[in-house]
Amino acid sequence: MMMQKKDEDTDGDMFQRIDKSTVLQEARAFNEYPINPKKCQQILTKILYLLAHSEVFATAEATETFFSITKLFQSKDIPLRQMVYLTIKELSTIAEDVIMVTSSLVKDINSTSETIYRANAIRALCKITDSSMLQSIERFLKQAIVDKNPSVASAALVSSHHLFNKNKEVVKRWINEVQEAANSRGLATQYHAVGLMYLIKQHDRMAVIKMIQNYSSGLRSPYAYCMLVRYIAKILDEEDIDGNARGLYEILEGFLRHKNDMIVYEAARAICNMKNVTSKELYPAVSALQLMLVNPKVSLRFAAIRTLNKLSLTHPQAIVSCNLDIENLITDSNRSIATFAITTLLKTGNEASVDRLMKQISGFMSEIADEFKIIVVDAIRALCLKFPQKQTMMLNFLASILRDEGGYEYKKAIVDAIFDIVQSIPESREFAFSYLCEFIEDCEFTKLSVRILHLLGAEGPEVSQPSQYIRYIYNRIILENSTIRAAATSALAKFAIKIPELRERIKVLLTRCLEDVDDEVRDRASLYLRILDDEELCKKYIVNENTYSLNYLESSLQEYLEDEALRKTAFDISKVPIITKAQEKSEQLRIKTKTAGILASSAMNSAREPSPKKSAMAESIDPQQQYAMEMEAIPQLAALGKLFTSSTLTPLTELETEYVVGCVKHIFQEAIVFQFNVRNTLNDSVLENVSIVMDIASQDDENIDLLQPLYCIPCNQLLYDQPEKIYVVYKRPQQYTPSVTFSCLLKFIVKDCDPTTGEIDSEGFEDEYQLEDLELSIGDYVAPAFIINFQKAWDEIGDANEVVETYMLTAATSLKKAISSVIDMLGMTPCENSDIVEDRANTHALLLTGTFVGGIPCIARARMIYESSTGVTLELTVRSPVRAVCEILSNAIN
Amino acid sequence: MATLIQSLLNWLRSLFFKEEMELTLVGLQNSGKTTLVNVICSGQFSEDMIPTVGFNMRKVTKGNVTMKLWDIGGQSRFRGMWERYCRGVNTIVFVVDSADLDSIPAAKSELHSLLQKPQLADIPVLVLANKNDLENALTVEETIEKLDLKSISGNREICCYSISAKNYVNIDITLQWLTKHASSGK
Repeated sequence: MMMQKKDEDTDGDMFQRIDKSTVLQEARAFNEYPINPKKCQQILTKILYLLAHSEVFATAEATETFFSITKLFQSKDIPLRQMVYLTIKELSTIAEDVIMVTSSLVKDINSTSETIYRANAIRALCKITDSSMLQSIERFLKQAIVDKNPSVASAALVSSHHLFNKNKEVVKRWINEVQEAANSRGLATQYHAVGLMYLIKQHDRMAVIKMIQNYSSGLRSPYAYCMLVRYIAKILDEEDIDGNARGLYEILEGFLRHKNDMIVYEAARAICNMKNVTSKELYPAVSALQLMLVNPKVSLRFAAIRTLNKLSLTHPQAIVSCNLDIENLITDSNRSIATFAITTLLKTGNEASVDRLMKQISGFMSEIADEFKIIVVDAIRALCLKFPQKQTMMLNFLASILRDEGGYEYKKAIVDAIFDIVQSIPESREFAFSYLCEFIEDCEFTKLSVRILHLLGAEGPEVSQPSQYIRYIYNRIILENSTIRAAATSALAKFAIKIPELRERIKVLLTRCLEDVDDEVRDRASLYLRILDDEELCKKYIVNENTYSLNYLESSLQEYLEDEALRKTAFDISKVPIITKAQEKSEQLRIKTKTAGILASSAMNSAREPSPKKSAMAESIDPQQQYAMEMEAIPQLAALGKLFTSSTLTPLTELETEYVVGCVKHIFQEAIVFQFNVRNTLNDSVLENVSIVMDIASQDDENIDLLQPLYCIPCNQLLYDQPEKIYVVYKRPQQYTPSVTFSCLLKFIVKDCDPTTGEIDSEGFEDEYQLEDLELSIGDYVAPAFIINFQKAWDEIGDANEVVETYMLTAATSLKKAISSVIDMLGMTPCENSDIVEDRANTHALLLTGTFVGGIPCIARARMIYESSTGVTLELTVRSPVRAVCEILSNAIN
Repeated sequence: MATLIQSLLNWLRSLFFKEEMELTLVGLQNSGKTTLVNVICSGQFSEDMIPTVGFNMRKVTKGNVTMKLWDIGGQSRFRGMWERYCRGVNTIVFVVDSADLDSIPAAKSELHSLLQKPQLADIPVLVLANKNDLENALTVEETIEKLDLKSISGNREICCYSISAKNYVNIDITLQWLTKHASSGK
């Protein structure tokens, strides 16, 4: 008795002393007779434990173990049999000849008496089967799908789901069985059946829509309904709202009245995520979410407020009706809900309610975690930019939370917010700087200190009493680490350079820095002292508006460090392009808005599928920079100079053709490069000597001869599914910006090739492939530019060269369509969210900025009026320092 | 009267001396292994069988002997695995399609290479020339000769019967032979 008890005590740490070789030794027990089910189960558990902890089993070991396990099929013990299935599933990828158990599994699946492990057997069977064996077990799976037992049917459906990736054709044949399973009484079975049916039909949109309509009532499983909602959301996301989609919306709306909360929520969320959703369409969804806000279930409240919060980014007006309920949530015991409530209110609130809100926030800031604090800070930043009059209060708030305890990310968010406010609201500078100075007195984050010191150096000299900051900055030199000391030295020097009155005094301070223990600090000090001694150098320093392209500098330095051969010589900085500071600023702004956009969109999509994340990752590398780097690698193209702007990829073929071609237009100072991305989708042929023949198809310009084709850089060999690039270069006089339509022809020598071995026939024949016409329009000559304050830029350029034109856009059936086509035609960037239009609005003003080729800034205001009888009337006002640019742009509308 | 006593004795013996045996059926595909197992287990013949993918395990009790039958697939991809399932069994049963003359050489070479495995030395072998109901089926003598069974040397006990699973011909003597070997090697 004592012994047994001891055994039980040690049972818990049975897994702690597991060793693979011992377990494999123990596995010999499987070959013994009679079988001891309990003992075997324990051994199997140990094997599974090892596999789950990434213990590596060699193929031979795994195979040996697998065959020993097959001996266990003689035992009728049910728990043991289930363990056997589990282990087989795990070993199926490591061991050889696992199809050995096929017949045994089929026998178990077909057994009439022992129903309990039939489902397990099906799941194991699907794991050990390869696509060639699928045909022979097809009929068993088909039978299992329509089995009366829901667990068996579910197992078969889920297995089919997995098998679909291996052999689509066979699984597609089971559609009738799947349809029958969708009427099963098992809730999970319905869900799995709907999922599989969608998988089979997913590429046929009409079939999917039909399926959705079919099942939109009559199912019992809430999970299945949720799947339907997601499929609807996917379709709505993919296509423009037309007749079909309208019907789908009605189905969604119907789900809002379902009695199951989960379905109601899913439907509401899908409606909120719809593209171009109108407030009328949103209304029922928002009401449904509003009801959830007062639901006693925490999860529902959280889900509802989270969705509303997301919606507030795009449709703040739609949520105003919920504001009362949301305000009650601020005191919710769940801090996550409270945070979302606050930030939602910050977005929807008007100027009057802001004061009250801020008071409430201060109260609860200390109670929430850093991540939520960051969300709140971001919301406040946005709010401050929206209501500049409130900046004093906001800055006060930010300063007070800056004093509180917090991690780096949190502090960084606050500092970022203050920086943004300083940038866009110049009046706030003095105030903000004094807070920042106070902060660096006691800041534990070197990075933040350095950034603040830089900002002080850059902007500090311009406020009314710059000398007040000198003390703070010099204190850093006395007290801080070398990195901060170096930054402080630079900041001090900037004050001295820009303000001659302070120069002598600062010189004294800088001279002291020459004694510093750190060489970087000493170097900087002596550099700046040299500059300060020379009035000419000072002036030059102040007017120097150029800087190196930092991204490029970083990547070329990295390259330099990685390449042994390159490192033997000194780094050549002359190759790094020089840009103006204004350009750099706009670049930074662009990246910022872009990442914010990506974050928002990926957050919206993340729930649906993993792929958007990947594309967001890819997007975060700037495509234009990538193009520029690719072209610089080609000597002929590198000679063209610096890339001005690149268009987006225009497809020139359908996606499912033999050869898929798309074109990107690159504008250079005196040339145009057409980059053709070509992909061969035939696995039994290889193209060689692939080139593009471009011809001017139509133009209305008598000077078109000025546009001269220079050369084509062909692609030597185009293998199956390996995209290649072909470049066609046209010469263009600097001031000449024609709109042309080109006809394009793909020419090549085609050779047969063996798809399996990749062996290529020596004989080939010439062939050509007609592509769609390519349009080069005025919009292609305009690079996007980003500014914060449209009115300021508008006034700065002035109306000296203003051109005003009026157009009737009869083809546009809505303001939305007119806006997108105007943006397309002009190639300019919408400012201040003016590309978003109110639903029922009949008038709209679209604000656009851009940089015309040659680096000429251009700015435009498009006022539109929509009338159902006449379409959209457009009044376009273009301003630019160059008259010709205004004229070209105002004529770009057609 | 004698038979009655005999059967009574058998019954008594079966109560007290329950015996176990394990045997493995191998042979080329379509030689009738699974069919034979079904006939032995249930006494019923079914014509249309799907090929065995892997193996089947059946247990059947005949008299006082419980037999575990490992019925291994005969397709070439499974032949390499025969040996694993023959290790340590009481008897190996090699089934031949005696009416399919073309397959005999292949059957012969598979049988001989299987029996050469040192792990399987001394395990008794029963060769069954199945399908003797068909017209051009080989006789026992012919089978012995074609498979060159005489050359299988050593202490191994080897026996050959001509059977028909379909018509239940010679199944009895097969079972008798098998049960006789139940305790051998134990």
